[in-house]
Amino acid sequence: MRFAELRLPVALLLAAVLPLPALAGAEDVRRDITSRMAAQFPGLSPADLAGGSAAFDAGRRAEAERNAPGPGAAEAIEAGQRIWKRKFANGRSLAGCFPNGGRRIAAAYPHYDRRVKRLVTLETAVNQCLKTHGEPLLDAGDPDTMGAVLAYLRTLSQGRKIAISVSSPQAEARFEEGRRLYFTRMGQRNYACASCHLNHAGRFFGDTAIPAPVGSAAQWPHLREGRPMTLQMRVRECLERMGAAAFPAGSDDLAHLDYFLSYLSNGIEIRPNAWRAPLAPGHW
Amino acid sequence: MGAGLRLVAAGAMLAATTAWGQAVEGRDLFTRADKGGCIACHQLPPGSGPVVRADVGPRLDAARLQGWDRARLRALLEDPTRANPGTVMPPYGRHRLLEAGEIERLVDFLHALR
Ligand code: HEC
Ligand code: HEC
Repeated sequence: MRFAELRLPVALLLAAVLPLPALAGAEDVRRDITSRMAAQFPGLSPADLAGGSAAFDAGRRAEAERNAPGPGAAEAIEAGQRIWKRKFANGRSLAGCFPNGGRRIAAAYPHYDRRVKRLVTLETAVNQCLKTHGEPLLDAGDPDTMGAVLAYLRTLSQGRKIAISVSSPQAEARFEEGRRLYFTRMGQRNYACASCHLNHAGRFFGDTAIPAPVGSAAQWPHLREGRPMTLQMRVRECLERMGAAAFPAGSDDLAHLDYFLSYLSNGIEIRPNAWRAPLAPGHW
Repeated sequence: MGAGLRLVAAGAMLAATTAWGQAVEGRDLFTRADKGGCIACHQLPPGSGPVVRADVGPRLDAARLQGWDRARLRALLEDPTRANPGTVMPPYGRHRLLEAGEIERLVDFLHALR
């Protein structure tokens, strides 16, 4: 069930922010949430939590191991590499826009760019390069183009530890915006992201265990039915199921959530192109 | 609140389904993802509905539902945040996920479990 009929943007519902203790900054928030998860799941490391539902579900875990690397991963990486190396009309390429052709860069994204005064996600950086060279942009919501490029680009950082920096008041403000969204009830069903992922992590919602917030930025893109789904694509799906009009692909709102979630994954190794279960009717 | 934070209110979907005059039974209201979708969070006693692993909310059986008279159940389904502001359970009446008649049929269904 896609809940398509619920996505009519009719009015602004009163949004309540779930209670969260006042904290000094990003690092306090990360420590607080990480220690909450550690206390709740003493047997699971942050790297285990990065497996999503599988961390809490032996059946899923066995399936994920049987399906490693995710079926379709090789094809997605290859398709992404083709786009990455393709020559632009002016002879340049995406690879030419990044240091070392994009090797070992993904762990520091998203980051706050003081020059443009914006968060730069991997999606933004790719499109910024295309724009600079007068090429058509990629749709950040499209698995077959942006998803494939990021499947390749994140493979170039495989095994590197996520190292997001929040090191200026401006960056803190962006992180705080992501945190605020995460704790705000949105949509007809009145859920906040935190209602499920923080308050009920590891519980079964239908037949699927709810992934923890820690680690959820480590394994994307996820290969689902052979297609590479980015973190932002997954967040948009959760928003739709909440009965909210999903933030547009490539929007600042998604960048803020991406920044918040990626920061919570600091120190965890990037393991892209992991298998995730297909979406069944009524399934999250 | 960010300009992109467009939220959804209720109505159109409910209007459409009731216009067809479909009486959705209590059990369907409990299980259907486009209705209560309660089964995503609550298990039912064996034989009363599909078997799921859901455990976000308590299993709803006779023991659990003792002391829940109609008025209390109605109030909970209308808006569970009144009793527990932090709850994950949706406010079915307040957000018009279900209409009054549907909430009544769900109350019947829950009562029959006792
Ligand atoms: C009602 C419960 C619920 C809400 C609310 C919800 N999610 Fe989810 N989310 C899930 C479930 C269940 C899955 C697992 C899907 C699967 O693995 O098949 C999931 C998966 C995810 C994943 C992928 C994790 C992984 O490693 O597989 C991310 C990231 C995510 N959600 C972020 C969010 C964000 C951000 C929000 C709010 C905008 C949100 N979710 C709201 C239930 C929810
Ligand atoms: C997203 C999760 C979720 C959904 C969906 C949900 N509930 Fe609940 N429900 C809960 C939780 C959690 C509680 C525990 C009380 C609280 O959180 O305030 C609860 C409590 C209850 C109780 C009180 C039981 C007790 O002893 O505390 C009843 C009855 C109930 N729910 C019925 C329903 C019905 C009927 C539906 C669908 C129309 C529904 N719930 C949908 C999560 C959910």
